[in-house]
Amino acid sequence: MEVFDIISPLFVALILAGTVVGIIFGAIPGLTATMAVAVCLPLTYSLGLENGLALLLGLYVGGISGGLVPAILLGIPGTPSSITTTFDGHPMTLKGEGEKALRLGIIASLFGGLFSLAVLYFFAPPLADFAIQFSYVEKFLIILFAMTVMAALSNSMLIGIFSGFLGIFLSLVGVYDTSDGGNGELRLIPPGMEDMLFSGFSLLPVLIGLFGLTAVLDEAERGMPRGQSAADIRIGSQSSFSFSLLRGQVWNLIRSSGIGTFVGILPGIGGSAASILAYSNAKTFSRHPETFGKGEPAGILASESGNNGLTGGALVPLLSLGIPGDSTTALLIGAFTLQGIQVGPLFIGNNPATWDAMILAMLIANLAMFVVMYYAIRYLALVVTVPKQILFPVILMMCVIGAYTINYGIMFDVWTLLIFGLFGWLAVKLRLEIAPFVIGFILGPSAEIYFVKSLESFGDLTIFFTKSWIAILLWALIAASIAFSVLTGRKTKMRGFAKT
Amino acid sequence: MDGLTRISVDFSQSHLIFPTIIACILLVLGLAILIVHRRAISGAGAHFRAVLDDMDKPRFFGTIGLTLVYFLAMEPVGAIWPNTGLGFLLCSIPYVLATGVLFLHDRSARSVLPVAVTALVGPASVWWLFSELFFLTLP
Repeated sequence: MEVFDIISPLFVALILAGTVVGIIFGAIPGLTATMAVAVCLPLTYSLGLENGLALLLGLYVGGISGGLVPAILLGIPGTPSSITTTFDGHPMTLKGEGEKALRLGIIASLFGGLFSLAVLYFFAPPLADFAIQFSYVEKFLIILFAMTVMAALSNSMLIGIFSGFLGIFLSLVGVYDTSDGGNGELRLIPPGMEDMLFSGFSLLPVLIGLFGLTAVLDEAERGMPRGQSAADIRIGSQSSFSFSLLRGQVWNLIRSSGIGTFVGILPGIGGSAASILAYSNAKTFSRHPETFGKGEPAGILASESGNNGLTGGALVPLLSLGIPGDSTTALLIGAFTLQGIQVGPLFIGNNPATWDAMILAMLIANLAMFVVMYYAIRYLALVVTVPKQILFPVILMMCVIGAYTINYGIMFDVWTLLIFGLFGWLAVKLRLEIAPFVIGFILGPSAEIYFVKSLESFGDLTIFFTKSWIAILLWALIAASIAFSVLTGRKTKMRGFAKT
Repeated sequence: MDGLTRISVDFSQSHLIFPTIIACILLVLGLAILIVHRRAISGAGAHFRAVLDDMDKPRFFGTIGLTLVYFLAMEPVGAIWPNTGLGFLLCSIPYVLATGVLFLHDRSARSVLPVAVTALVGPASVWWLFSELFFLTLP
């Protein structure tokens, strides 16, 4: 199938619709790109893989970009990844430069998105070709590496690792599937629940619960804080936008997009780390670091190009290794699973048309995001006023549909959604880390297969160190990641002591 | 020395290897957390009391309660009209209305009206889209 057979008016319309809905989700504080993808996932059943991905990728790009609207206008990040946009965006709004700040953010988002798309297009296929050579041993080590990277950027390394392993443990509940080379025996199932948990907890109800229901419970716990009224939104037009503002910022845009893309490639880290790293680098390299935090356009450019740089970067490990780069791309695995397609090193080679369609969808989504946001920014700004009492019940209902339809009508999947929604809420209170938990849950079954098959094939633990130079390289990366985590942890602690 | 690293996997017990290792690691990590974060853990009671005190209990527990009732009712109601998705539709309308009203700060007729309209239009359109257009299974 050629790529031009895939591009139809429906394909383009779905990208546009996805982008607009994504922007709306991103623009409403409390809703995220991940939630947008989770809620709309059931729609992809009947759309087919390419059209389904068109919708989801539109939601992803729109969701990440939309977060800048409340960040700039209200000083509340619409999504966690737009946290640093508030630092300079909101001060600009207070100075009557809201429109200028929004347009700067939109341009930076487009730049970051296109930059990371180029990296995805050129980097994922060679990485996938390389990964084809990997045996069970290297695949297991990659998963181990992913776990350490996640822990490095968790608030607490120890708790991050614990959360990741807890995710792995819960993913092992159920049958050790013969289709994966297992022996077909059940494990970790409480007595009397064998029928319900035969296949374990389904991935998507778990994700929908963690990202959909948990967010609603969190808002309910806080008493559904009142949203803003239209009268509160002051977009300002005292100082009009001009492209001359971008003069001297090209290197900032390239560096920040590069940081965002790189962070995206590292599994499980997420947009907030991307934008924080990009922002702090922009401040470090700026000639006027003292202006950051007081309405500095370079800060907005760094933050937004950084978090949109994540979009393409996070797809690199997903499409070349089968490992999601962040929680939203983890949900995309669900879309592939629904269509019976496994993502991994063989994906791009076996599905060239789907690969091209994804690249095209990302390109159109980025351009659509720019056009919609740049030219309709005054109307989009009103999105932040949508009342939660209307939005959240509908989201809860959509979560139910997503969970129920995932395995063609199993009520236990709906209960799974509730169980993990409550677990997600409690986990935050217990200071567990959700991102490592999710990645652990997703990668757990593969980690088991790769580990056990390595032992069955080679019968020696030393094989994990001696199999190939790639294995040694991966151990070096694992060690470097752990060392980085320890050093970062110590630095944070010392800063804490210095403050007290 | 070589013998120490050699492992023979019994296929009939292979389903327990990885869960056992992960459980052991979790245990070790759990103990490490208990030691490293002992102060925070000893203050967990106060932390959770503060969470409960600050919590909007009616909205939080109301959401959970309504969701439980919604899930429990969906299948029995759906069983009255099998394979039509009406269980979903008939339970979603009162659920969306009840949660919407629960989330409202001002419960005057003027504020409830948009919630009521959403409760009718939202589930009906979603039911039509999924059940009638996409032919997906709904309770």
